[in-house]
Amino acid sequence: MSVLARQVARRLGIFAVTLLGASVLIFAITSALPGDLAQVMLGLDASPEALAALRAELGLDRPLPLRYLAWVGGMLGGDFGISRLSGYPVLQLMAPRFAVTGWLVLFGMIGALLIAVPAGMVAALKRRHWQGFAVNALAQVGMAIPVFWGGILLVSLVAVRLRWLPANGYVPLSQDPAGWASHLVLPALTLSLVQGAVLIRYVRSAFVEVLDEDYYRTARAIGWRPAPALLRHGLRNAAMSLVTVLGLQLSAVLVGAIVVEQVFALPGLGTLLLTAVQQRDLLLVQGTVMFLVLAVLAVNALVDFSYLAIDPRQRTGESR
Amino acid sequence: MKRLQLWLGIALVAGVVLTAAVSLVWTPFDPIRVVPGQRLLPPGWPHLLGTDGFGIDIVSRLMVGARLCLLVGVISVSLAAAVGVPLGILAGQAGGWVDEVVMRLSDVVYAIPAVLLAILLAAGFGASTVTAMVAIGVATIPAFARVARAGTLQVMASDFVLAARSSGTSPLATAGRHVLPNVAPLVGVQASVTFALAILAEAALSYLGLGTPPPTPTWGTMLRDAQSYVYTDPLQALWPGLAIALAVLGFNLLGDGLRDHLDPRLREVS
Amino acid sequence: MDNRASRSTRAGRRGPWALLLVLALTAVIAGCTPAGQQTTPAGDRHTLVVGATLEPASMDAFHNSAASIPQVLLYNVYETLVKVDSDGKLKPLLAQGWEVSPDRLTYTFHLNPAAKFASGAALDATAVKTGFEKLKADTKLTETLRAQAAIVASVEAPEASTVVFTLTRPSLMWLYDMSSTLGMVVDPTFTGDLATATAGSGPYTLQKLNKGTSVVLGKSPSYWGTPGRFDEVTFRYIADPNAQNAAMLSGEIDVVSNLQAPESLAQFSDTSRFSVIRGTTNGEVVLGLNHQTKALQDLRVRQALTMAIDRTALRDTVWNGEGTLIGSMAVPTDPWYTDLSGTNPYDPARARELLADAGYAEGLTLRLRVPTTAYATKSAKFVASQLRDVGVTATIEELDFNRWLAEVFTPDDAGKSNYDMTIVAHVEARDLGKFANPDYYWHYADPEFVRLFTEADESGTADQVAGMQSAVKFLADDAAAIWLFALPNLVITDAGITGIPQNATTLSFDLTTIASA
Repeated sequence: MSVLARQVARRLGIFAVTLLGASVLIFAITSALPGDLAQVMLGLDASPEALAALRAELGLDRPLPLRYLAWVGGMLGGDFGISRLSGYPVLQLMAPRFAVTGWLVLFGMIGALLIAVPAGMVAALKRRHWQGFAVNALAQVGMAIPVFWGGILLVSLVAVRLRWLPANGYVPLSQDPAGWASHLVLPALTLSLVQGAVLIRYVRSAFVEVLDEDYYRTARAIGWRPAPALLRHGLRNAAMSLVTVLGLQLSAVLVGAIVVEQVFALPGLGTLLLTAVQQRDLLLVQGTVMFLVLAVLAVNALVDFSYLAIDPRQRTGESR
Repeated sequence: MKRLQLWLGIALVAGVVLTAAVSLVWTPFDPIRVVPGQRLLPPGWPHLLGTDGFGIDIVSRLMVGARLCLLVGVISVSLAAAVGVPLGILAGQAGGWVDEVVMRLSDVVYAIPAVLLAILLAAGFGASTVTAMVAIGVATIPAFARVARAGTLQVMASDFVLAARSSGTSPLATAGRHVLPNVAPLVGVQASVTFALAILAEAALSYLGLGTPPPTPTWGTMLRDAQSYVYTDPLQALWPGLAIALAVLGFNLLGDGLRDHLDPRLREVS
Repeated sequence: MDNRASRSTRAGRRGPWALLLVLALTAVIAGCTPAGQQTTPAGDRHTLVVGATLEPASMDAFHNSAASIPQVLLYNVYETLVKVDSDGKLKPLLAQGWEVSPDRLTYTFHLNPAAKFASGAALDATAVKTGFEKLKADTKLTETLRAQAAIVASVEAPEASTVVFTLTRPSLMWLYDMSSTLGMVVDPTFTGDLATATAGSGPYTLQKLNKGTSVVLGKSPSYWGTPGRFDEVTFRYIADPNAQNAAMLSGEIDVVSNLQAPESLAQFSDTSRFSVIRGTTNGEVVLGLNHQTKALQDLRVRQALTMAIDRTALRDTVWNGEGTLIGSMAVPTDPWYTDLSGTNPYDPARARELLADAGYAEGLTLRLRVPTTAYATKSAKFVASQLRDVGVTATIEELDFNRWLAEVFTPDDAGKSNYDMTIVAHVEARDLGKFANPDYYWHYADPEFVRLFTEADESGTADQVAGMQSAVKFLADDAAAIWLFALPNLVITDAGITGIPQNATTLSFDLTTIASA
């Protein structure tokens, strides 16, 4: 038990340290480095009074470490700062958008799995035949496609030409479940196609490993068909591999979501962030990026913890 | 099959490099001069891929775009490797708390993806090619550090290194003589993969309006412009997207091919 | 051990079926949802969704110059004493009638006694007086409003429904200004923040501000006049022209208030689904020149820049041939409009000569800072390319609209404006007076033009047209700015919607005339 506790403590420690380090980096770039923060935010023509007022408001005359601590302290209490342009608290601006980006990322990942697992299986089982080559080739192509290009093409085909689905916009789930679903299909599909292509190779190699194992060969010898045998013995192996990769890929999916939100005009955290950048609303940028990084690190930490559950070897403290 | 992958990758990469090189001295038409009478011409002669909404030859714009995409790739990969590889070797050789510190630092940087870092830099310093290159470079330092570290650990455990260390060779000399040559191929593979990611990241940033400002053509901004014409002339969106996909595919295949060529038993490095 | 194995087997066998089920569900959901919404049958429409481009940063039109604010609020939420109808004529609104004194200095308005604010407070002469005095005293008023209000010497409220305005000098423009933002009457009992709430007397009130997405207006149940036809009107802001078109095509929005991608008109050719309105606006797309920049103070340079740009080709390239070519700050619907588009015609060779004469034979570099609206960014690219052909380097910088307002449009405290050239559409009606204001961001105010304009403004109706024509011609000859083209009014609506005027004569997207039948 103590070994397990130590493992958990270690991973929690890593999570905390990484989070802290990331916050320092984010703070440095948005608040510490730019020449005169007030000047950057207000522009070159700002009057001296306006600059002075903003500097006082942001507490810019205080030493850097104090400002950093104030920011972190605020966040721990739920205060991510105030957006200069709108005057609203950052968290309040972000709140309605969590769901949008969240759904997009969730369905994008689920869709990616739905694509990658069957495709990876085919690639593994038929790895010496044309089907295997074809899947690999498609995966390579899928990975090379820029996600926004895929989105534009899908919109032009499915939404405009065929008019099966709406081209952009969003409807909250509570308002209209059918509309909510129909607005998420194309954006999620765009993400799934690219992510799925990335995942295929991981699924494939996990399954391929299993193909060499004794218990697989035994199963085949008994009379099991390849696919069910592979699934029975390979799914756990693939699951571990996938869980790792999904954790690592979460930040990539999040970036993809930010871009996809632009293509489909979804009111998520991505569009909030991009508008904030264009308007030089530095505190909003700072708060939103910090939140996104926090989310990714938290999920990765959870993934690490789930390893302790899935893989018995982890509990004895063997290094990965 | 593996051979085919490698050669296809080499061919695609060579194609991009050649195009960029040629564009420095010649393009079929002026890549930024507006020609009002020639808007949205379909592919044909003399405009092989047609013209865009401003009458500018698409082939010429694609060629100049290749230049920028290579520039971003080279600078960011060089930056990432120049910082990441020595750090990784240091971590692998020194071990102990040095290793721990380097790994934690790299975790921190790794926590912020390249595009997000670029967005941060753009907010604080204004968007430009430079911020994109710096952001992508810095964000991929951890990847190079990890690869270098893994390779270093392997090498450090080998007999001749142990022998060299016990005979008194300094760590720096060990690094130079034994570690570096063995780590180099791994770094090469990582470089190729990172190059592909850099191209995608830069294209995304240009598409979002956070990359090179107008009128310099980049593949990402060409896609952004093409969106206006997606109903009247959908082909506009095809060419820059295809260019990006082919370039990325080339570097990915090159990376994979090199990896398979060097050591088929090598685990995934990403 | 066995449990986990059998679980994975079951999962394995179910895997492909689960996939099929999800795909089938998706297809069903997609099929069940109509492609967007179908056109609501005649008369059934209770809500309206209007697509617009630039989201207003606040709802306070007195402190923020963005035209997107009056687009939502004017006539819909806030009312004026007089309004301009779709023919450009002045009509009663809050005032049932008015008289002008023979010396044209005193305007007497007779208010409609039924008029009241949404809060229930009476809209009487005192309310109008209080409101206007407050406006005049406001130091943070936008420059345009400040200049417009400066003409008023005093406001009196002799009776409950009579308001008297006395001007410092005659001005026929003033009454038109009062039909726009300047004349919006605000509830004096309101103590909140006008940036986030409204306090007007119109048929609608502000219901919800969804930052980043939309502004929602709701019908005001206590409106003193004809009730609004819709229970709810949403202004949906979609900055990207293609996303806006896609939204219209799939039924997300019912109206495109002004098409930002004219090349896509053909997509709306299905008359059973869409109506297309093609008219004119008051919008001049002006390539503004900062007369504080030394090079631009030379007439030859300004003429050269004008001659370097083929404006016909620009309009064809950037706005797909829609819109009218204009040569000065007047649009075809202005009474004093004459076609001056031939002034300083396209002649790159002559442009190069003029630049050499002015001493810029080696070249000239100017900053072209534009907002990120479709017409501005595209025009900037075109202009930069053509200027390059005559040896002028225009470095393009694209700014988010709010940043453009803060950095280009608003001068710093020393009165300096940070740009050389910029491109923006000026959509207010009859706005050539801006060239007479040295504090306006162009910093023009040539004394001769000021003289011509003021005389024309003060003169009686008979001479006004001729007087304004001279003023307008002066601007063209002096190349005070470069007028690229006049924005067309391209409105796309669902087939069942009527009542949207062909020409946009005011800043307002007037909901009071729209019907669904």
